[in-house]
Amino acid sequence: MRGAIAITSLLGCSLLPNSALAQEQAADGPPVHIHAFVSQGVMKTSANNYLMSSKRGSAEFTEVGVNFTSNLTSDLRVGMQIFAHDLGPVGNYAPTFDWYYLDYRFRDWLGIRAGRTKIPFGLYNDSADIDAARVPVLLPQSLYPSDHRDYLLAQTGAELYGSKRLGPVGELEYRAYGGTLDLAPPSPPLPGLTISDLQIPYVYGGRAMWLTPLEGLTAAGSYQALRFDWDYHFSPELIPPFQAIGLLPAGFGGTLPVQFRVKLWVASLEYQHGNLSVAAEYGRWIGSFKSQAPALLPPHVVNERYYGMVSYRVAPWFTPGAYYSVYYPNMDKRDGRQDYQRDLALSVRFDLNQYWLLKLEGHYMNGTAALDSALNGGQQQKALAKDWAAFLVKTTAYF
Amino acid sequence: MQRPSLPHVIPPPTRRRARRALALGLCALLGLGALTVSADAVSQSPASYQVLVNAKNPLMATSREALADIFLKRSSRWESSERALPVDLRSDSPVRRAFSLGVLKRPVAAVRSYWTQRIFSGRDIPPPELESDEAVARFVAEHPGAVGYTSSRAIPAGTKRLEIR
Repeated sequence: MRGAIAITSLLGCSLLPNSALAQEQAADGPPVHIHAFVSQGVMKTSANNYLMSSKRGSAEFTEVGVNFTSNLTSDLRVGMQIFAHDLGPVGNYAPTFDWYYLDYRFRDWLGIRAGRTKIPFGLYNDSADIDAARVPVLLPQSLYPSDHRDYLLAQTGAELYGSKRLGPVGELEYRAYGGTLDLAPPSPPLPGLTISDLQIPYVYGGRAMWLTPLEGLTAAGSYQALRFDWDYHFSPELIPPFQAIGLLPAGFGGTLPVQFRVKLWVASLEYQHGNLSVAAEYGRWIGSFKSQAPALLPPHVVNERYYGMVSYRVAPWFTPGAYYSVYYPNMDKRDGRQDYQRDLALSVRFDLNQYWLLKLEGHYMNGTAALDSALNGGQQQKALAKDWAAFLVKTTAYF
Repeated sequence: MQRPSLPHVIPPPTRRRARRALALGLCALLGLGALTVSADAVSQSPASYQVLVNAKNPLMATSREALADIFLKRSSRWESSERALPVDLRSDSPVRRAFSLGVLKRPVAAVRSYWTQRIFSGRDIPPPELESDEAVARFVAEHPGAVGYTSSRAIPAGTKRLEIR
């Protein structure tokens, strides 16, 4: 499969200077439209490892994708995208079908896609992989956590979509989907603990976007619900200490079936006027565990996420931008550094030509809530540096 | 999930170091940005354009919003239910710049960003880009549902001008 990635990359690079395939020559022109992108980034943090081994500087920040789309009839379209990425411990260049679908559009107000489709959640989730579609290197990580990509980006099932003009009050675009996710079990959080039988019985949700009569102003609401089922297996030596501090019930046999329901919603506003773009989003994710060990797995947790972002295209090839993003894993608990993460980011994007861009970005971080202990030598979040900075450089070629 | 405490070493305060690093980084970014802003930040003067449809299209006029929906592929059909086939000029064309600002109400770079999102999230592909007024006129004349724009005031055979209300 690594060979497939190499071929994909070569294909992308070899076609890059030639826009003939990317720029459709005629409506009934090339039967298959090909588009691709290749991104490579590096990140260095002043303290703490973030998303990758960033404290020493890391280039484990790669994305490659190629997609093929064809109109079989005037209303029926098929498409697929092969994608591989590496983000610290995530991805590892394993190529996957990022999306594939058959898409039939009955009317402007009703179409259906079946297959694996990108999840519309917030303004940017379905394009979160696409560096070329935005100004910052990292989207606000409170709403779009890169290390949760596999959980949030695409679902396998079906999607209904459409748009409807509302006369003087603007236009409504809507998407609703249902299906499941295909996930490998994550790494166990502790030595002596294993995870098996991970299932996602369902995921469903939707997004409504109102294109308001004020040109460029869009308001949106998104909702998603899903359920995870899995079994925790505790090694015999791990059970007594957990029982001693009341985290596991007496008589526990070693296997803990867990059901985890998650409901997510986000409210979004975006305003685009000329070269100015402003966006703000606020969301809550509500998680409910059901297990025989409520002391170990809290039955109900609500986290809070929001950000504000602005960018201005000063010249066709130069766009600076900034955002402020905040994340509380438990909105009722905000005291310690592990209970929040605030992120002030400043980015500049250079469009070197129509197919190639370069970005530079700096972050001032306050808090450690989004840091992974496993990436930080097993240190707990409360032991990590509270104030830290991150610097990123990323380049992307696309057509 | 709560985890048992692990032995750890609390690092020394890093706030000052982080702030210094961030300040240096931001200064570098801003300095680089200031160096790159130059004369081409000034927008170029707009060109004029006319919108052409196939001569068989029964529509004589449409709203700017409806035309924008067709070029952004939010609408796929004309009122006559004929499938709409929008066609663009190259993104560096001054006529396209004028059309983009006048009808789509956004600069060409913003439209490219819109299409980048849709292409790579699997939602749609942009209209074809043609090289010249003549190529656009030919395309419109050959496809009953086609719509394009040109700089010329001439009405080529097989096409007609669509008024924008």
